Formats: sequence, C-alpha cells, structure tokens
Amino acid sequence: MKRFLSVLLTLALLLSLVSVSAVAEGGKELLTLDVYDAAANFHGEQKGWFGKVVLDKFNIKLNIIAPQVVGNEVFATRAEEGNLGDIIVCDKKDMSDLLAQGLVRDISDKLPGCENIMKFKTQIDVYNKGLTGEDGKYYGIPSEMTDTSPTTLTDDVIYSSPMLRWDLYKEIGMPDLANLDDLLDALKKIQDAHPTNADNDPAYALTLWADWDGNDNMIGIANVVQLTTWYGEKIKQSAILKPDNTFIKIYDREGAYYKITKFLNKAFQMGLVDPESGEQNWDSVMNKLQTGRAYLMWYSWETGFWNSVDRLNDGTAFIFIPVADQLYYADADRYYGSDRMFGVGSKVEGEKYDRIMEFLDWYASPEGLTLQHAGIEGLNYTVGEDGKFVPFHDDALMANLPVPDAYVGEDGVVGYNDGNNAINQWIGSSICMNPNTGERYAIKFWDAYKKITMTEMKKEWQEKFGAEDAVAYMKKNNQLLASPSVDFTPAPDDNDIAALRVDANKTLCTYTWQLIFAENDDAFESLWDAMIEKMDGFGYETLYNYDVSVYQVEADAKAEAAKAVQ
Amino acid sequence: MEKPNRRINYKKRRSYQEFLYILPFLILVALFSYFPLYGWRYAFHDYRPPLPITSENYVGFKWFNYIISNPTRVKDILRVLRNTFAMSGISLLFSWFPMIFAVFLNEIRCKPYRKFVQTVTTLPNFISWVLVFSVAFNLFGSFGAVNSILQELGWISKPISFLKSSENVWFRMWLWLTWKNAGWAAIIYLASITGIDEQMMEAAKVDGATRMQIIWNITIPSILPTFFVMVMMNIASFLNNGMEQYYVFQNAFNQDAIEVLDLYVYNIATSGTGNYPLSTAISMLKSVVSVVLLCGANGISKLIRGETFV
Repeated sequence: MKRFLSVLLTLALLLSLVSVSAVAEGGKELLTLDVYDAAANFHGEQKGWFGKVVLDKFNIKLNIIAPQVVGNEVFATRAEEGNLGDIIVCDKKDMSDLLAQGLVRDISDKLPGCENIMKFKTQIDVYNKGLTGEDGKYYGIPSEMTDTSPTTLTDDVIYSSPMLRWDLYKEIGMPDLANLDDLLDALKKIQDAHPTNADNDPAYALTLWADWDGNDNMIGIANVVQLTTWYGEKIKQSAILKPDNTFIKIYDREGAYYKITKFLNKAFQMGLVDPESGEQNWDSVMNKLQTGRAYLMWYSWETGFWNSVDRLNDGTAFIFIPVADQLYYADADRYYGSDRMFGVGSKVEGEKYDRIMEFLDWYASPEGLTLQHAGIEGLNYTVGEDGKFVPFHDDALMANLPVPDAYVGEDGVVGYNDGNNAINQWIGSSICMNPNTGERYAIKFWDAYKKITMTEMKKEWQEKFGAEDAVAYMKKNNQLLASPSVDFTPAPDDNDIAALRVDANKTLCTYTWQLIFAENDDAFESLWDAMIEKMDGFGYETLYNYDVSVYQVEADAKAEAAKAVQ
Repeated sequence: MEKPNRRINYKKRRSYQEFLYILPFLILVALFSYFPLYGWRYAFHDYRPPLPITSENYVGFKWFNYIISNPTRVKDILRVLRNTFAMSGISLLFSWFPMIFAVFLNEIRCKPYRKFVQTVTTLPNFISWVLVFSVAFNLFGSFGAVNSILQELGWISKPISFLKSSENVWFRMWLWLTWKNAGWAAIIYLASITGIDEQMMEAAKVDGATRMQIIWNITIPSILPTFFVMVMMNIASFLNNGMEQYYVFQNAFNQDAIEVLDLYVYNIATSGTGNYPLSTAISMLKSVVSVVLLCGANGISKLIRGETFV
C-alpha cells in the first residue's frame, strides 16, 4: 500500500511538472521580468487583467520594483549591486549616471526592428543623440511621446486654469472677472450663499494641501507654483521664467509667486481658505473635492473627482471661467516625451533580451496602447458600427468595476483598477492617433464622447464666452502662452547644489504657508522680508544662478522652436 | 613540577571557554554597534547614488566645514539642538510621572476598575504614531470633535487651530508622548511594587500609618532604585527621542519648534534629490553631543558620588 502510494505521488509530481511546462506556449518558458519603475505606485507582481494579458501573450510576468512605494533607497542599493532591473523606467535626468555606471544596455541592434516604437523615430533619435552624441546609438526610449508636433496643443483644456461650478457661477449672475480680486469677490458670494455642502459639512472656496510641496522640479508649495502659470510665469526650480524668456528670483515681489501667495493670503483674510489647509493631506482634500466642499479648482484633472456625465447634464459641473488680466501658460503636446524614459538593464542577454524588446514593441503598438489608454472592450468601451469606440463604463477605473471573465487570471483579481497596468508609464501618449479607429486613444477625443458631453451647460458656456472650448477661448483672446516641446534634460544636481536646494525649498515652503495665513498685510510683508533674508543666508543666490544657467538652455531651445513655426 | 603546569593549562582552557560564552555578544555588539559606524564614510565623500564611493570623490571634512561655515545654517542647527534638548529635557523632568501613576493605580481597591484603567492606559502604546496623529487630527483638527463642540456651545466663533499653532508645542508633544507611553511605563513600576515586602505594609498599618504615609515612606522609597535605572536609560537616549512622533505632527507652522535632530537629518536626506553626505555629517554631530553629555554626566557622578562609570 505504501509503495503504491509513493508511486502515485511520484506520478502526480511528474504530471504537475509536465503541466507546468505545457503552459509555455510556442516553446517559450515562463519569464519573470524585474521592472525597475520610477513611475509605479504599486510594488510587487502585476496583478489582474493586465497581468493576464501579458502572461497569455508573452508568457511573461512583470515584477514591479517601485521606489515611490518602497523608498528611494532601493535605487541606491540596486545600483550598487549593478542591476537595476530587466526593464528600467526612470527619470531622464538619471540616465547619464546610469550610462556611466553601465546599468543600461545598448539596444542599437534590436530597436530599429521594433516597428511600433520606431513610429517615434524622430524623437528617439534626438533623445539618444543628446545622450551619447553619436548617431544610430540607442539606449533609451522617451515616454509619453505624441505623434503630433512640438508646437501643437491638442487638448481643449490646459493643465492649470481657474474653474468654478457652472450652476453657482450662474447663481451669482455670471459676472465678468477682470482680475484676481474679482475672482475672490465671486468666490465670496458663492461661499456666503453656500457655507456648507449638501451634507451640511463646511465648504470653502479654497482648500490647500502640503503633500506635494517642492515636487516636479519646482521649489515652493505646489498650490502656489502651479497657479503662477495663470500669469504666464513658469517656475524652473528656484527661478521664475517670465513670458519674455528672462528669469527672475522666485521671491521677487514683481513675480507671480508673490502675486499668488498674496492672492491666497487675501482669500484667507476674507475667510475663503479652508482652515484645515496645511494640516490636512491630499487624501482629505480629495474627499472634499468629491463631496463638493471646495468652490475653486485649478488642476484640469481635479474635475475628475466631481464632474460626471450626470453633473454635466444638470449643469453642476466645474468649468473654466476666464479672468481677463491672465495669460495662461501651457505646455504644448509633449512631442519629445515626458521626463521619463524606458531602457533595458545591462545584465539582460540572449533570448531574454529578444523577448523584452518584443514586449516593449507590443507595449507601444495600437493593441497595447488601446489597453493602456482606452481599457477593455466590453467594459470601458464598445465598438460602434463605424469601427469607432463608444464609451461604455467610463467609471470603470473610479468604481473598480469587475472585468469580463475572459480577463480574470489565475490570481482571481477581478477589479479593473486592481488589475490596471502597474507600470503606470507609456511609450505613446494618449493623444496619439489610433490607426484602427482614426480617433485618438483618450476617451475625451472620441466623437461619441463629445456627443454625450455636449450638454446644455456646455452650450450656455459657449454662448457666454463665444468660443468652442477653453483653449479656443484663450487663443481667441490672446491669453494663451503655449510652450513648445523640446528635448531637454537637466543634469542631476551635484551635492553642493542639492544641499542649497534643500535649504531653499524648506525655507520657502515654511514661510509661504505662514504667509498665506498672515493676519494682515503688514505681517505679510514683514514675513516676506524675513523669508528673503533667511533664503539669502542659506546661499540662495548661488542656487539661483546655477538654475538660470541650466534652464536658459531650455528657454532658448523653446524660443527657437516657437520661431521655427512662425 | 607537573601539578601547577596542569593547573595553568586548565586555567587557560577555562578562560578560553569562558571567552566563548561572551563571544556571541561581542559579535552582536560589533555587528550592530560598531559595524554601522562604517557608514560614516559617506560623510567624507561626495557620494550620490548611483555613483559609487571612490577615492576620487573623497572630500575630507568638506561637509563638516559646510555646516559650520554659514551662520544661518549654524543658527538652524542650534535651533534643532534646542528643540531636541528641550523635548528630551521635559520628558526627563517628568519621568516621575509613570511612577506616581503606578503608585496611585496600585491604590485602587476595586479590582475590575483597576484592570480597566490599566488596560486603557497601556493600549495606546501599541498604536503607531501615524494612527495617533489621525486621532489627533479628528479630535483637534479645525473641523475636529473639540472644535465642533466648542462651536456648538457657542464659546468660539472660528475654529481654533490646535495642530497648526506653535505655542507650547514642546509641552503638547510631551502630553501626547505621555498619553501613549505612561501606561506602558507604569508596568515596570507595578512589577516592582508587587516585590515590596508585605510585612512592612502590614507593620505600618498596625502602627496606624495613613495611606499617604505608606506611599511616601514605604512604596516610593522601595521603587526608587527602579526609578533611577529608568532615568539612567532615559539619559542614555537623550538625543534619540525618535522622529516618528515629530514627523507626523510637523507642519509649516510648528516646524520651527518641533524639528528634532533625527527629524532634521531625515528631512535633509530625503527632500528633493537628497544629500547623503551632509545628513551623515549632521548625524555624526549627534555622536559628538552624546560623548559630551556622557562626559558631563560622568563628571557630575564623580563630583556627587565620588566614583565614575566610565
């Protein structure tokens, strides 16, 4: 009996081995790829539907290594080991160091054969030439490139502009806003009329948060630095780039950082700033946006937490309201890609290398991009008779809807959001044209979507402002400053500059928060003076000069690109 | 002639054997106390990941000079040291609190109530600082429970920003620390109270001593040795007052008063591109201050007790 059992067990073991190797279709074995991914918000093996798609297609599993989740130390330790990962998604500015340390692989032999990726050949050539100085040498693929042009602005809204709720704006009589003071008056009227939301929770004109301060290559508090673009001024680290392509110091009283800080302080003095600002985190703000406890939005994506097709229909959605004295800075389509890039680890050889390149090429293919930007057919969209996409469940991501059975893998994860692409970075942007439909990948460009959202509210807006959409209005009134896309990557800070930057950023952020909550104008001005003194004490001048010398190159390239169009 | 020789051999062997007993602990000390000092080398190089440490980027005392060469920075570091000393000092000053708490807890006659109090006060010790902060945020935030109640009662018209004010921040931080730790710290005193000879208590009671007299003349003197051990340990970790608590409570409005040495090092190393050499150099400062403190305590001990402990 015992012997029979052992034979049976051995047989079972053998059978299971056979069945495992049977999974490998086409003779390809299961391959687990380490993806070092500076963009990922998830650490671990890719789950759910996207994991299943990749596994079925390539017999590849993706093991995501996310410094944003486990801390930047993982970068230092993995670099020390000499192997960042098989696929590397990192900031472009780190690339020169990675090259010097031999951490990325030369992909010159295989990349020209990747026809989907090579649709972006112009951009890839420019980027790699800038990296190595040689023609025909490839190390990196920029992320989120577009197929338009460096000076096109395809979006109909820009990244940051003042947005109010249409019903409330109508309620106060649709006043024309000449400047920031008018905006504050309008907000005051709205807040006085609606001191709480529908659930009787207190609501304020502005609610601010501190989590993202000093991010995105800009020192200072995020809520201020984004708003400086309303006056055509773009913050480049510690300097402000003016519309005439000159730089001024960030604390200059002529600059927009001062103007916006003053604006927020005035709002505070008028009782329009949520008292929890500065002590709450982003999660709390998100909750307030979703429950209608804030009356001003300024990031284009913020509307995603409130606007829906229903709200567009009943006219309670947020929409751009122009302020006459403003000049809106916007980045043109990122033709040359965003600040990140894709590469292949230097330890990758042989068959693994072939399969990685095959995977990356698919990642940039219409099939891959459709999955990444539009989602799953039958869940996020359906295909109409003309072959164009029709929105189906546009809340699949927000509501984490279950995916169709065919997309449920071995791990049994059914939520759309749970199984969404954890690489969280794309080679082709969602603005790119889908050759299968003749429309762009992102839902907001689909004819069917435009039809749904052409609501009464949108028509009223068009009538009042005499333009098709926000960007059209800005163009018509000469209020748009579109900054062309150029291939530019600043060198990483050396330690001397990094030390200065830490002190400058910390001082600026601490003081700006106190400035916003200053009791009166006198207190505001004396705090501002104290801030200048402390920043100068920390050696701000050196930092400023360094940043100007770095970003002047970019500014000149942009001016050149803009001239080329004219 | 043979005998003594053998004895020496035996002694030698025994000493080797005994050395082996302590060897594991020596290894542990070497591994966890001395080996990390190897990391100090980052302070002497212009290290920046992913570039390795090489002889080319050796910069000597550059970063130490950097700290002391700029008056604004020196002022900043003095501020941080002031905060560290103040907050550690306050907890040292109030280190009798858990002891008194334990003594009074022990006096509660109703057993279920005593158990209840003890459990409730010990529990916060197992809550992480992040959760403590969310409790604080919900209680004392601008829309928190306290402000809501005060506004309902009509005592205030505008919410009070408890978390944003920098007033009494040191004392408030001590209150949170005590709320979290007092129950836990009291356990060790409760244990030593149970170790007190019952006969003394009985004798005192027979002699007609009041409860306060028993506490004052028997309980407290009996647990004083434990108290001194605890104080010693407190002094040893004077500069290690941790950063989690201050990290979660810090914001732009109280940073000036709340930033302690550990938090300062963290803020410098991790904000923006970060700067490992500088933060290593500043954290080495901590060791310097510790040595100064140790020598000071040693000197005082020599002055008072006539003996040293180093």
